[in-house]
Amino acid sequence: MKIASGRALWIFAAAALALPVIADGNKFLAFVLGMTYISLLWATGMNLMYGFVGLMPLMFAGVAGIAGYAVVHLIRELGWSFWLAMPVATVMAALAGVALGLPSLRLKGFYFTLCSLVIQTVLTLAFIFFPTYTNGDTGINQIAPPDWFGGQLKGLGLELMIALFTVAGIVICAWIVRSPLGQRFVAIREDDILAEAIGIRVVRCKIIAFFIVSLYAGVGGCFYAVYIGFISPRAFDVLVSMNIWLFVAFGGRGTIAGPIIGTAILAPIPFLLQDLQAFKDILSGVLIIVVTLLMPGGIYGAWLARQRRSAQPTTDSARVQESRV
Amino acid sequence: MSERLLEVNGLSKRFGGVVALRNVDGHSVVGETLGMIGPNGSGKTTFVNMVSGHIRPDSGTLRFGGIDIAGKTPHQLAEVGLCRTYQAVRVFSALPVRQNIDNARLLLAHRGLDTAELRELTEWLRLDARLDVAAGSLTLFEQRRLELLMRLVLKPRLIMLDEPVGGLAVTEVSEMIQLLKELRARCSIFVIEHTMRVIRELADRVMVLIAGEKVADGPPADILRNQRVIDEYLGTRHA
Repeated sequence: MKIASGRALWIFAAAALALPVIADGNKFLAFVLGMTYISLLWATGMNLMYGFVGLMPLMFAGVAGIAGYAVVHLIRELGWSFWLAMPVATVMAALAGVALGLPSLRLKGFYFTLCSLVIQTVLTLAFIFFPTYTNGDTGINQIAPPDWFGGQLKGLGLELMIALFTVAGIVICAWIVRSPLGQRFVAIREDDILAEAIGIRVVRCKIIAFFIVSLYAGVGGCFYAVYIGFISPRAFDVLVSMNIWLFVAFGGRGTIAGPIIGTAILAPIPFLLQDLQAFKDILSGVLIIVVTLLMPGGIYGAWLARQRRSAQPTTDSARVQESRV
Repeated sequence: MSERLLEVNGLSKRFGGVVALRNVDGHSVVGETLGMIGPNGSGKTTFVNMVSGHIRPDSGTLRFGGIDIAGKTPHQLAEVGLCRTYQAVRVFSALPVRQNIDNARLLLAHRGLDTAELRELTEWLRLDARLDVAAGSLTLFEQRRLELLMRLVLKPRLIMLDEPVGGLAVTEVSEMIQLLKELRARCSIFVIEHTMRVIRELADRVMVLIAGEKVADGPPADILRNQRVIDEYLGTRHA
């Protein structure tokens, strides 16, 4: 299976870094772009879990929240630099993600999703009921941008930094899925019992996956906090997890390009439809239904299946593949 | 020839009120093909599930190649050379045949088969022309051969086959028996079958399970003439 070509990845990286410079004149567009990049970093992590390991982690936003709150606490209360606080907070969130994932290691499919939903709910409640660290429902505002050689990294500089981390996240993801580890992930996704029988350590692979995916959630959570300057339990609730999942499913799970396409199309919509709050949620709901029923492989997945069908019209293998996505 | 490979003592398993296996003993020796027969629900697959680490026995000991394997997971058993196939064929249907094989090669990585050995196996199992096809679109017989190939890549000492000719056409059964005869030169085999021809032509020795208990153990010719086995399982004479 061809997942992404190297050249396409380079073109994407160049475009991703050029766009903030082009959008710099328009503050609103630049902000939408910055938020889209954070969503894309999250979607890449979600894709690693949902698209390659085959598990749908609805506690994704909660793990991002752990990192978000931790980074703010480290900066404000302990006076750390963002650049030290971010990796520490991210690793903390990743370890928490692994610990939270442990009870669900033996579960798969719907049952895993259900378990992760419960974990997400508990995390949201924790954000509300531990105001010492989170300031409860009110949230924490006026979070300063990251420090940068005596000054502050904000505006275009911060957007470029986020773009850089997002591109790096996608390149690392592409590298992981081509490695033997990624091959094991796909084997587990396709049939975990068979994977175990041919010698793949399913539980260990899942723990590694939890850790890596939580790193993505964590880095995104840290940047979210300092980019928006405000975090609250709602910023990391289950709807956020669902949205990130939708970006992946809509674009095409299990591919590198899919989540990029999905996020580029869907992530800006809430900002562009700010005056139509109710309509935004309806649209999101309709899209979830449409994707689940009509495009199980997402936009990019459907396109790939078409390519395959026209390439070899005499076998039914393409149809078999499509129906199993 | 008499070096013990698999040794099972006092194996028991209950599922709630149902006793699936009661105090079953058995062993196989290196190079041997050990058959297992018995009516549906007599505990054959439960036996394989326990030996292959899929479920834990309630009591009893399990040894393989002299080491205690009770409580080991399937991947740990694959590492020591004990692997199995499934009654319902199990391949990575959505992935090409080539990637199915590659997944099985992950375990041994560079210690595994070299390219020439792999090609020899692939040609022997007649999958060399099907490498780029999704495993799910292979015929059942091809999928069963792919299952075998994926196990042989693990360099096993014992393969446990759960009804290897189940669902195959009559001509395919003959071909499969021929393949399994050749397989005997590569590793020891444990085989569950309802098709007596397979047992008669392949097995050096047969264990009979009825209602979770071992009722006979011996050469196929004797077992297929055993009056209790005929009455409770075979119905008619097969030998």
